[in-house]
Amino acid sequence: MLAVAERMLAELGAEGQVTVSRERSLTSRFARSRPTQATEIDQRVVEVLALVDGHTGLVTGTDLGGAGLGELARRARAIAAAGAARGPGAFPGLPTPSPPTEERAAPTAAPGPAGAASALAEAFAVAAQRGLEAFGTWTAGSVQTAIASSAGVRAYDVVNDAFMKVICRHRGGRTGFASGAAPSATELDPGGLCAQAAAKVKPEPPTQLEAGTYPVVMEPYAVASLLEFLGALAFNGLAHAEGRGALAGRLGSRVAAAAINLADSPRYPGTLARAFDAEGVPKAPLPLIQDGIAQRVVHDTRSAARAGTGAATTGHALAPGGHADGPIPTNLVLHGGGASDERELAADVRRGIYVTRLWYLNAVDEREVLLTGTSRDGTFLIEDGEVTRPLRDVRFTDSALRLLGATQALTAQPRLVCEGEFYGRRFATGVVCPGLRAEGFRVTGSTPAR
Amino acid sequence: MSVVTPPPAGRQRPDGDGLELVVELVGAAPASCSYVEARWVGRRAQRVLVAGGSVQELSDAETAGVGVRVRVGDGWGFSATADLSPAGARGALERAIALAGAQPARPEPALAPVAPARGHWAGPCQRDPFAVSVEDKLALLLLAEEALRGDARVMRSEAECRAITTDKAFASSEGAACTQRLTECGGGIRAFAVNEHGLQVRSYPSAHGGSVAAAGFEHLLGLDLPAAAPRVADEAVALLGAPPCPAMTTTLVLGDEQLALQVHESIGHALELDRMLLDEAAYAGTSWVAPADLGRLRYGSETLEVTADATLPGALGTFGWDDEGVAARRLRLIERGRLVAALSDRRSAAELEGQESGGCARAEGFARQPIVRMTNVSIEPGEAGSLEDLIAATDHGVYMETNRSWSIDDRRLHFQFATEVGREIRGGRLGRLYRNPSYAGVTPAFWGSLDAICSRPAWRVWGLLNCGKGEPGQEMHVSHGAAPARFRDVQVGVARAA
Repeated sequence: MLAVAERMLAELGAEGQVTVSRERSLTSRFARSRPTQATEIDQRVVEVLALVDGHTGLVTGTDLGGAGLGELARRARAIAAAGAARGPGAFPGLPTPSPPTEERAAPTAAPGPAGAASALAEAFAVAAQRGLEAFGTWTAGSVQTAIASSAGVRAYDVVNDAFMKVICRHRGGRTGFASGAAPSATELDPGGLCAQAAAKVKPEPPTQLEAGTYPVVMEPYAVASLLEFLGALAFNGLAHAEGRGALAGRLGSRVAAAAINLADSPRYPGTLARAFDAEGVPKAPLPLIQDGIAQRVVHDTRSAARAGTGAATTGHALAPGGHADGPIPTNLVLHGGGASDERELAADVRRGIYVTRLWYLNAVDEREVLLTGTSRDGTFLIEDGEVTRPLRDVRFTDSALRLLGATQALTAQPRLVCEGEFYGRRFATGVVCPGLRAEGFRVTGSTPAR
Repeated sequence: MSVVTPPPAGRQRPDGDGLELVVELVGAAPASCSYVEARWVGRRAQRVLVAGGSVQELSDAETAGVGVRVRVGDGWGFSATADLSPAGARGALERAIALAGAQPARPEPALAPVAPARGHWAGPCQRDPFAVSVEDKLALLLLAEEALRGDARVMRSEAECRAITTDKAFASSEGAACTQRLTECGGGIRAFAVNEHGLQVRSYPSAHGGSVAAAGFEHLLGLDLPAAAPRVADEAVALLGAPPCPAMTTTLVLGDEQLALQVHESIGHALELDRMLLDEAAYAGTSWVAPADLGRLRYGSETLEVTADATLPGALGTFGWDDEGVAARRLRLIERGRLVAALSDRRSAAELEGQESGGCARAEGFARQPIVRMTNVSIEPGEAGSLEDLIAATDHGVYMETNRSWSIDDRRLHFQFATEVGREIRGGRLGRLYRNPSYAGVTPAFWGSLDAICSRPAWRVWGLLNCGKGEPGQEMHVSHGAAPARFRDVQVGVARAA
């Protein structure tokens, strides 16, 4: 693949970068304990970034034949030149090569249908034993990426990932959720995940919670959702430089409880490791919040230039030449605390809410990281230190930063949480985080029965 | 708009056109396949974005490939490849068959019947957006974006243009063989203003990338972005000093763009039959509506009329045939507030005895299989006149326009939206500006409180480019027709209430 990228770079005949990637993946979905959709993809994509007088032109194609490559190069040069015709642009130049990182994993073999089928059958059997139906997704993929640039970057990486989620559902509509993610499908435990999901399905009818503020215990699934939004809204170097970011004017100050240590750690054990960003800049650990103090934001080449004052890329470009919306951290790790599990977190709560996962989050105010969303697939009341009755799903409207500021305890063992959402090309990311307990979770409504 | 002509000369693979490829591929399937369909999709998408006086993005993506879906016994398999050689396409077919054969067996009814699709269809396009030079697009966008700047509190200003052409060829083992060309174009502007009270955003003509239609470059020109820019910037700055929207229960008047998203989230998705059948429970979610509710459920007030119309001119959910080869159609979903039909494809329709497909099977690109999607789900116009007439007929309340935030639960029942701008309504007139307006509700109660919709001249079609569903994820382009409408006793100011 690197050879194709180099050949394409020669075809470009100008300053620029070529990225060649290949995705092989298999996704098998199921509902009502039967398979519904199975999708296999084998796709190569080439991206050609041309740089002309501070302007970039990015062209993407799937035709990797000789004529196709030439046409992509011509078009990339043409659109970059069109920008340059109006005067010099702001792009500072391509990153120069950095020392090579460690040896990368080999691509996994193309995921076979038998592995998916046996995973589904295992989940169906466990659900049936408990009188429930299983819903969910099993997916495994391997993405190879090669980058060659006129600045001398030569990089090759493989990201292997596997993900399975199971929702168990009672005929009355109550549901429970569990998911697992790993670099390899062999590390997934379909039966175990289904059993975890089934354990969340309680027989009694759910109670409706009044709007108000409550102590909350969140499983890592819910914490990861909050951190993903925090990553995009607080640590985006472009938004920060433009004064739109949640940490504008707050770097160096306390933004979270002292127990909060958040980093972007691309090689943390258990994460979906990534060697370099979309500009070929090596990934490296980067502390973001230490002991509750905001440390820094992340950059690609473009956002660093916009920030000025000595800012440099931190290896967080999402597209060749940097994404127009700016960079974000893709390997967030929130370090754990001292609680053995979520039940221990609940032990100090007199009356509160236990949340398995969050759904349909959206930003209400980006600068405050004020989010709204609902709970889903396992929401419970905590009474006198015990997780007791199921609750109807609740709507919350609260700030992720405020919740981190009000965090009182964390579980000891962080785990990888991946949503397994692959829009466009497969780009596997995950958040490694523990469960947490926080004060004052703001519930603004509750989902009615109908 | 719908014509039968020879396939377009452009966008062909080097050794023949896409239709020939998919017909050959379907013909090569073994007898063990009870059903085979193949789609060749060639797509070109261009985005031009300027911000702060400089070019931020010039991107142009051209992709082509083939996706094959087969049924073997009761198992389904789908495989996609960008390798368009005969061997590459055959490889995808073989992998799809292997995938289908490996599925744990569960009985499933035969597909809902359909007449085989034949011919060619092309959407409207007066001026090919790819025939307009990048230089000309930049000139237009930079002019508009410059007019957003001037006040130091505007920290970021953007103008963007998108152009997309999609060519499709479809063949099936039931005799379908058809081709289509769809052209989409549009754009918008946006200003971000910041002060000690926070961040305010103002967009034109709509949020989330502006207005995109099934049309050529003429649609972007018709938006006249430079003319709107000074007002947009002024409003973004004015919002910084406006009082927050108070928390109360009151009358709410929604602008047509926000109402379009309200329809999308709380009607369109809720009426997808795969969700009602629980097939999307693991990701997109289910629905508060059950199949047994069809023909019975009161969804809203008698003012509520909703259609799904894949023949609506200029709309992003308009086509000749859906991605299962079902001809485009107009469905009435809700009549006088009563639910009468759902959005379906051939598989989901087959689950309901005697149902034919609603023609709502759509796939993003060649590497995704068709699933139930909205076409153009619209709330039909009413008789309340213009927006000014509706405001004049409203004693007090809040007017909100241009979406800023949206969220709804996985049964499409309990929602919360925020808009860019709100205005007090007092004595039949628009009053002071409100910042951070928001509202929340429960779907049937909210639509039950609808008591007025503006008339046909105020009804417009709004495109959405980011409708996500499916695994692997698919972003679908849909449109919604809507006119400003009034709702009684709505909870507003919910996002900030203590």
